[in-house]
Amino acid sequence: MFLLSILRVIKFSLQDLARNVWLSVITIIIIVLALLSVNLLLIVKVLGLAAIGAVKEKIDISLYLKSDGEESRILALKSRISDLASVKEVAYISQQAAVESFRAKHQDNPEILQALLELGTNPLAPILVIQPKDINNYEDLIVSLNKIEDPLIESRNFADHKTMLAKINDLTDKASRAGLALSLLFGLITALVVYNTVAVAIYTHKREIGIMKLVGASTWFIRAPYLISGIVYAGLGVAAIIIIIYPLLSFFQPYLAVFFYGFKINILEYYNNNFLTIFGLEFLVVTLINFLASLVAVGRYSKV
Amino acid sequence: MIKLENVTKIYPPDVKALYKVNLHIKPGEFVSIVGQSGTGKTTLVKILIGEEKPSQGKIVVGGWDITNIGPAEIPVLRRQIGVVFQDFKLLHRKTLFENVCFALQVCGEPQSKINNIVPQVLKIVGLENKMHRYPLEVSGGEQQRAVIARALVHRPKILLADEPTGNLDSINADEIIEILQKINKFGTTVLLVTHNRDVVNKLRKRVITIENGLIVGDQAVGKYIL
Repeated sequence: MFLLSILRVIKFSLQDLARNVWLSVITIIIIVLALLSVNLLLIVKVLGLAAIGAVKEKIDISLYLKSDGEESRILALKSRISDLASVKEVAYISQQAAVESFRAKHQDNPEILQALLELGTNPLAPILVIQPKDINNYEDLIVSLNKIEDPLIESRNFADHKTMLAKINDLTDKASRAGLALSLLFGLITALVVYNTVAVAIYTHKREIGIMKLVGASTWFIRAPYLISGIVYAGLGVAAIIIIIYPLLSFFQPYLAVFFYGFKINILEYYNNNFLTIFGLEFLVVTLINFLASLVAVGRYSKV
Repeated sequence: MIKLENVTKIYPPDVKALYKVNLHIKPGEFVSIVGQSGTGKTTLVKILIGEEKPSQGKIVVGGWDITNIGPAEIPVLRRQIGVVFQDFKLLHRKTLFENVCFALQVCGEPQSKINNIVPQVLKIVGLENKMHRYPLEVSGGEQQRAVIARALVHRPKILLADEPTGNLDSINADEIIEILQKINKFGTTVLLVTHNRDVVNKLRKRVITIENGLIVGDQAVGKYIL
């Protein structure tokens, strides 16, 4: 009998969706708009954090070495620095590699290339490019690097990076806090919009709910079709947002790639990798809001 | 079948809709409850279906003391009493057939039984050719017949009809009363709440008169005397 009731409840729910097609469409549109806002906010947040993260990745410390340093000693120094706990990676750029890179960078500027030629010797120093493991421990790395006494080191000036890093860290913190506040506010607005839409949809059934009670329907029997409708609305809403968001992402990704040239930012890939988390969570949250709205609204109109 | 002992219903702040009402309706009776608007007739119906609770007194329906009936028991009570309303109270998004089915579906009756009984009941009220129409596609009289079919479908021992002819013309009203009489002949206790003088006088059955919440008349073969 319980199974029969479940099947009837599902049937009534789907029948009601089909016979109130416009109300169903409007409810789904509201859910889609709400989810679109949430996804746009997510995209902005992901892009912002990815951009900041990419900038942080680009921050490294260059240790300029003496031009006449022996290669074996340089490699020994590189190995010593690599062993430091706060170091992620150390790259060695030899004098020759440095000048080749310089030439490549200025290949369109014949005056600079001519000046280099006129010098007769390679004016560039070999460099050790050190990438910190954690940008927040940048200070520790500098302290560690300052402790290394080696006659090969020609200069170690890290002052400029400190100010920039402080600014980036400050920006990251502010962006995270603003993002969190905005997400909470947006989440709340979305929840209220969806809640009220479902409550209004049920309000239009106020009379029917009363009649169902009068002919002996239990509160569960009245409430269940709305709960199922809520799941269907959430499912269709999320399906619609997937259909909308993917073409949008595919369309904007090339522009984003150009805009963030040099950084590894791929929002489409991010959505692909987190598909289940993003849309599963959206489905669960919308279903939960629908569930609450149905529970409250039906309870309010079924006191007959 | 229905027993009321000193039933009083007071709406806040101090409106006495019913006052110390004592009533005993035997199984199989056809009783008309008459009175002008606002005298407490509908309050009596609401108390009998558990929509309102009495402020004082005791109510027994079919041997069941429903004085302090709980919310979970109300659907069970309503499945045992057929109710016909003046404003029909049909579900507009269901066909007449589906409306009648619904009363059985909420009880968990199997579909095979529903498919067997519902057309029979709709035939009794003369709706066999319009059962797949929606309520707003048929006349008021036909809607009321569908309501009677819905009230009858789970073979209730009691049928409460609250102003069933209130929204109908005299021809349709007569047809509805005929159907109620037919149902009564099958053994169902019928409680007809009305202020339609002609209907009551034609019936020549028991008449209980309510005035200002008090029972002022109870005649075995009565007339509308107000």
